[in-house]
Amino acid sequence: MAREWKDLAEFEAFLDDGGIVEVDDDMPDEYRNAVFTFIEMHANSEYMGGLTERDWIPKTPGLRHKMSVLAKTQDEIGHGHLLYMVAADMGVKTRTEMLEDLMAGKSRFHNVFHYKAETWGDQVAIAFLVDAAALASQQAVFKNCSYGPYRRILKRIISEEGFHMRLGEDRMMRIAQGTDTQKEIFQGALDRWFWPALQLFGPDSKPNDVLLKWHIKSERNEVLRDKWVQKFVPMLQSYGFTVPAPDLTYDEETKKWDVGPIDWEPLKKTLAQGGPDSARRIGEARSNWERTAWARQALEASTS
Amino acid sequence: MSLPNEALREFLLAFADDEHLMGQQHTEWIGVAPFLEEDLALASIGQDELGHAVMLYELVCELDGVEPTDEAIDALAYGRGADEYRSCRLVEFATVDWAEALARHWIYDMVEGRRWSFLEDSSYQPLADAAVRASREESYHRRHAEALVNGLLNDPMAQQRLAAAFASLMPMIGGLCASGPWEADIVEAGIASAPTAAIVPELSRFITERFGVELPAGFMAKPDPQTNNDRTQRSEDFAPLMARMREVLDLDLTAQW
Repeated sequence: MAREWKDLAEFEAFLDDGGIVEVDDDMPDEYRNAVFTFIEMHANSEYMGGLTERDWIPKTPGLRHKMSVLAKTQDEIGHGHLLYMVAADMGVKTRTEMLEDLMAGKSRFHNVFHYKAETWGDQVAIAFLVDAAALASQQAVFKNCSYGPYRRILKRIISEEGFHMRLGEDRMMRIAQGTDTQKEIFQGALDRWFWPALQLFGPDSKPNDVLLKWHIKSERNEVLRDKWVQKFVPMLQSYGFTVPAPDLTYDEETKKWDVGPIDWEPLKKTLAQGGPDSARRIGEARSNWERTAWARQALEASTS
Repeated sequence: MSLPNEALREFLLAFADDEHLMGQQHTEWIGVAPFLEEDLALASIGQDELGHAVMLYELVCELDGVEPTDEAIDALAYGRGADEYRSCRLVEFATVDWAEALARHWIYDMVEGRRWSFLEDSSYQPLADAAVRASREESYHRRHAEALVNGLLNDPMAQQRLAAAFASLMPMIGGLCASGPWEADIVEAGIASAPTAAIVPELSRFITERFGVELPAGFMAKPDPQTNNDRTQRSEDFAPLMARMREVLDLDLTAQW
């Protein structure tokens, strides 16, 4: 049965008490819109991530290897599919409206998918570095998420993303033990993807971040980002790669790595759809969408 | 009974190459199909077709006395000269038209399902085992293609697009169904219960029923000019397709990715 709260203060007390909101509840509009926008961006990112990777799927080196890469992309688009359903159920926009907004450049997706995968090494770097960053963010949301339908879907997504990260790690290790050409290609990819992957966590959380206040996120951005740095900097170095951070330092006392100052301008550009590959990525998605409109219209007409 | 090894190798390669290149063509549509459910279906069907190719290449390895490692499979999948492939033109054909891609999926899976069914009681047990597994998956592929085509045929504009797609693919159907010169020995040895061409009457009937298109009488005898319906000749789309598949492999022939 739908629940109601007399005002925002009562609703927030419910959330602070560990309450879980369900789709039929009469949630405050501020909460509904914030959660919807967050899930829509997650859905868009899964879908655009699939498009970023698709540039290289047909070129995957190896037949069995290609099958696992296809399985990964199927998962990513499947996550988008599930997330669009969860978002659409909130009654703010339909799935078609969300996709049309995405194709029109009106809604956001993660910064990393505004970059082009230039080589096969980029494909591996995405599976390894980016999927790990996305997984860490999702785990932090899942831990304490107050919106029930999203939390339940995240459980499945997280288990599949774990496999993807391991696939990326396995491929990175092969390259690390491989030929000079392979190592050179992956180092080039690392130079391109290290900073965008790190920036995926976003700048330090603001004190009044409603996503934290309403228990959508459970960790501050800077905490998640730091955990990622502490894990990946030594790992990449141990495999013989150079972390592309000129101001990288290691504090013997705290036993922690510091990548130095972070330039947030590239992230800001992606948020305004002005990343290095934003125009091509969105433009291609839109022209593909338009080219196949006849099939959608025909099937809609035949089922209505 | 001894196996006709040379004919069997050609027969396995013809089917494996078709499965491999059909799976490859499906990968091109992931993320750009008309709707998300279709992206998902093609990712899944593409994996199945590549998986069938792997099973068949494994059997070729066995005949060659080679362990079916990733490298041995890839040597067969990517490492032969163009004249050593046995694919038909339909699976080599490059298209960016969704109607053609769907019509090809429908035709290919209709024929593929029958090809596997001819092998379910094969005298060559490893092939019979592979056929049982593949046939299970194929019934889903056919249902998927049928449901989409049936839905689209309710719309007059979509019907026109599909009819046009069929017209452009028509010259390639003969090559898909043509029995290679090795098939007489294969049927004789009980490896397949019928030659591939045995599908033609049934396929013609299905195409006429679904699309109102009559396959011209004797169309099998009028070979496609690019390949002569002969699986030993490649079409013009093969070289760019192979170059695309080999792009990363060619960066360093000694690398393992």
